[in-house]
Amino acid sequence: MRLRAIGPMEPSFAWDGARLYDEGDDPSPHLRGAAASVLKTDHGGWRLLRDPLGINKLFWVQDDEGDVVLSTRPWRLIEAGFALEHVRAFPRGRVAELLSGEVVDRPLDPDGLGAGDALDPDDAGARIRTTLDRYLNALATRHGAARTYVCLSGGLDSSAIAVLAREHFPDAVGVSFDLDRAAASDDRLTARRLAHDLGMPLLEATASAEGLLDWLDTVLRDGIDWRDFNVHAGLVNAALADAIATDADGRPALVLTGDLPNEFLVDYHAETYRGTTYYELPRLGMGPLRSALVAGLDSSHREIGVFGAWGLPVVQPYAVAVDSYLRLSEALLELDDRKERLCRVVLGDRLPDYVYSRPKARAQLGGGESGGGVLGMCLDRGVDAPELRRRFARLHGAEEAVLGRFLRAGRYRAGVPAAAGAPVA
Amino acid sequence: MNPAGDSGGLTEQVAAERLERFIRETFKVGERDSRFSRAVELFEGGYVDSVGMVELLGFVEEEFGVTLSDEDLLSDEFTTIDGMAGIISRRAAVSA
Repeated sequence: MRLRAIGPMEPSFAWDGARLYDEGDDPSPHLRGAAASVLKTDHGGWRLLRDPLGINKLFWVQDDEGDVVLSTRPWRLIEAGFALEHVRAFPRGRVAELLSGEVVDRPLDPDGLGAGDALDPDDAGARIRTTLDRYLNALATRHGAARTYVCLSGGLDSSAIAVLAREHFPDAVGVSFDLDRAAASDDRLTARRLAHDLGMPLLEATASAEGLLDWLDTVLRDGIDWRDFNVHAGLVNAALADAIATDADGRPALVLTGDLPNEFLVDYHAETYRGTTYYELPRLGMGPLRSALVAGLDSSHREIGVFGAWGLPVVQPYAVAVDSYLRLSEALLELDDRKERLCRVVLGDRLPDYVYSRPKARAQLGGGESGGGVLGMCLDRGVDAPELRRRFARLHGAEEAVLGRFLRAGRYRAGVPAAAGAPVA
Repeated sequence: MNPAGDSGGLTEQVAAERLERFIRETFKVGERDSRFSRAVELFEGGYVDSVGMVELLGFVEEEFGVTLSDEDLLSDEFTTIDGMAGIISRRAAVSA
């Protein structure tokens, strides 16, 4: 079996609870955070690995001779002549050893994410705080020379990362998104205030509607998704990435984001624009909904993929604390103030009250008072969900009907390459 | 489909009946919809969207007590009620 990769792999920021993961390491079952690697082994075979949340992406196709072609982006495989209907993801949370005539694959962590007894918020919060501190310290030791940026929406999750980043990366720069309009959004105003209070410089990424839509194809291709809520978030990230890349001006950079607690704590809700509801959530109880949202992280690359299009490495620090979040009880998820409650344990009064008391704001909406933000901007220009789907299919040379077999219920079609011959489903 | 359809106490027939009832009720499939059947492609036919698929998965896990793998979920078989019922009955047999 021959194997080749098209395009660069994505940087790994995974951590096993004690140290950062290096590609040649024997992968620990406790590995958490972004990792997807393709490594030639001493035995002349290959080892494929992908992190348990599926944060980093790895796609492959296999030809009739059994040769495997891999890439972090489906579009690269399409450009190499393969069809989207033959593209599969390497499964999240799996390690596979590929030798000629033999494939051995296993789960990275046989116990699974969040194994163990339920934690109360005090215990979980303390664990999250310790984990984040140790992880950010390890990152700062290894990547301290990079100019560090913190995406700052003014919400609880990104503000908490900004507070912690300020301690480990003293020169970190906050980055705030807003649409170009007469008055700054509440997100922007809160980001300014918090950055000022933290003594952190703030880079303001302000985008026009036309400017944002110029990046739509990049977001669809590198975000690997056509669903509106992810595309809209990806457009925001495109604006942030463009501002950061301009500011970094070729110097090594590291981007920190506050993603993932929304999935871990089920902190999403539908949005209404001009009387129509968007971003609807599955009608499930909080426990199953959390499971679905976390499993759904397997798909969409709206953060790492979009920033990657600008050559920017992204770290999602909350990923390494996933087990503590998932051990929180379903009863806690029913509480309206669950995120504030937990965040107060993690950070206490190091986060100002005006951040705790802010109503939930969605980055795609830019503060909620803004006439629909990116959601409304796209809809007003005819870029609705069907158009996103059509455009994604066109960019990948595929019929729309193929899309439902590529991504379904938040998971990419996945499998492990076969030892020879036809791919294994 | 397994003609015998008997797997660990849950037959494909029973699984298909429960799935059909859930899908008709949850996704508002009209009784007079002549296109709809247990063999119709639920996604390409527009009966179940991405969000609905997650709801359907939640129903399967709760109703039948089985957990489906990502491979099951993305298989060509898991696109019709009959196909889903086949997968569910096999998974139920394994976990029985």
